[in-house]
Amino acid sequence: MELLCLEMDTIIRARPDPNLLCDDRVLQSLLTIEERFLPQYSYFKGVQKDIQPFMRRMVATWMLEVCEEQKCEEEVFPLAMNYLDRFLAVVPTKKCNLQLLGAVCMFLASKLKETRPLTAEKLCIYTDNSIRPQELLEWELVVLGKLKWNLAAVTPNDFIEHIVRRLPLPEDKLALIRKHVQTFIALCATDFRFAMYPPSMIATGSVGAAICGLQLDSADQSQWGDSLTDLLAKITNTEVDVLKECQEQIERVLVSSLREGRQQQQQQQQQTQRGPSGKGLDELDQSSTPTDVRDVNL
Amino acid sequence: MKDLSWTRLPSTDNCGTMDTRKRIGHRIGHRIGKGPARRNLFGPVDREQLQVEYQAALQEDLEEACQRWGFDFISDKPLERSDFQWHAIPANKVPLLYRSCMLGPGRTEGQRTAEAAVKPKGQGRVEPPQSDKENIPCSPERCALNMEKTPERRENTGLKRKQTNITDFYQAKRRVVWMPLKSGE
Repeated sequence: MELLCLEMDTIIRARPDPNLLCDDRVLQSLLTIEERFLPQYSYFKGVQKDIQPFMRRMVATWMLEVCEEQKCEEEVFPLAMNYLDRFLAVVPTKKCNLQLLGAVCMFLASKLKETRPLTAEKLCIYTDNSIRPQELLEWELVVLGKLKWNLAAVTPNDFIEHIVRRLPLPEDKLALIRKHVQTFIALCATDFRFAMYPPSMIATGSVGAAICGLQLDSADQSQWGDSLTDLLAKITNTEVDVLKECQEQIERVLVSSLREGRQQQQQQQQQTQRGPSGKGLDELDQSSTPTDVRDVNL
Repeated sequence: MKDLSWTRLPSTDNCGTMDTRKRIGHRIGHRIGKGPARRNLFGPVDREQLQVEYQAALQEDLEEACQRWGFDFISDKPLERSDFQWHAIPANKVPLLYRSCMLGPGRTEGQRTAEAAVKPKGQGRVEPPQSDKENIPCSPERCALNMEKTPERRENTGLKRKQTNITDFYQAKRRVVWMPLKSGE
């Protein structure tokens, strides 16, 4: 008799727990502790000498691509970026070690959030073997030390359900809204301008941007009572003006990101027309747009 | 703002993102690093320099821990000026599991962590030949050997496991109540 194991590729997830999601105290606690996990400084102005904001974006984009390709849980990437920013806020880091740091942060975030975490070997392959598993493990210890082992950071993703549940949204659109919000959150994590924002603000702004983007706010104005922004601001105790600005910033980043994505597509098309001789360009391709966002068809 | 209207355009295909993940998964399958995500971003890594920085960072962490706990973990003695009062407990008063974890002086950083694993002898207990307990301090070198393997669950070893606390070795009495408010960093 042959024994078949059919459990191979199913990932077991806990169901959303109404005890946690419907209790106001949970949201209040998240709001209280979230600031503790923000990077302490805008590190490009002080701590970091060798690395530039565009390098953070390069490593962030690469991390997002790896997370996408490995089908990581949604919060892995924003959490890894939180580790990266907190580390960079205290440790001057060389450009050539930035990818190692990114890999370490994904390694840690994946271990914290996933039932089947990314392996060190896989991550090293993704760096095109420029780092070794041994180095990854050594630096894991260093990063943990610098983060004071505080890994359970609050991410914008922690707020999604709390916010969405408090809004009068059509049931059949919820999955789509969640997906768009996650995409916006990932997009924010790739952009340093959002690194110092509290996660709740990024989450609230992303929900606002998603609802507006899907035009769910204009369908029936009366159901909202207050405007959407007012309602959102109330949920996470954010100032309305600040929230508005944040949402607009998210929308701007999306637009420029889409534009870059389009240009890149064109470049790639031209390249394929030209044949494999255009390899130099391919290496230059910094793929600075999150893959997920590139697939948003607006 | 004209640009913003982009995001508000009526769309029939907004579901685009919904299946992205699935599609990507389908496209790439489980082969690792065949796609464009496999790339070296910033050129070669200076391995020697990396090793130096690694050792320096560990040293720094150790010194921080010494200051924080008022205990010199290298010479294994309480610091003179400390917020804590340390009382030594005879080795036979602590659970077996922790006994040989004591860090002796005069050993180098790498050795110290590597040898910290507990190897109880002659106690009539069945122990795994190579300890695979998650709680045992373990240097990266050591981990590299059996990395990525889920430790097998071993039943009936007769040992209750718990997280090692520094207070397992020394009773801590706090002398000074004031502590800075802990933040994320």
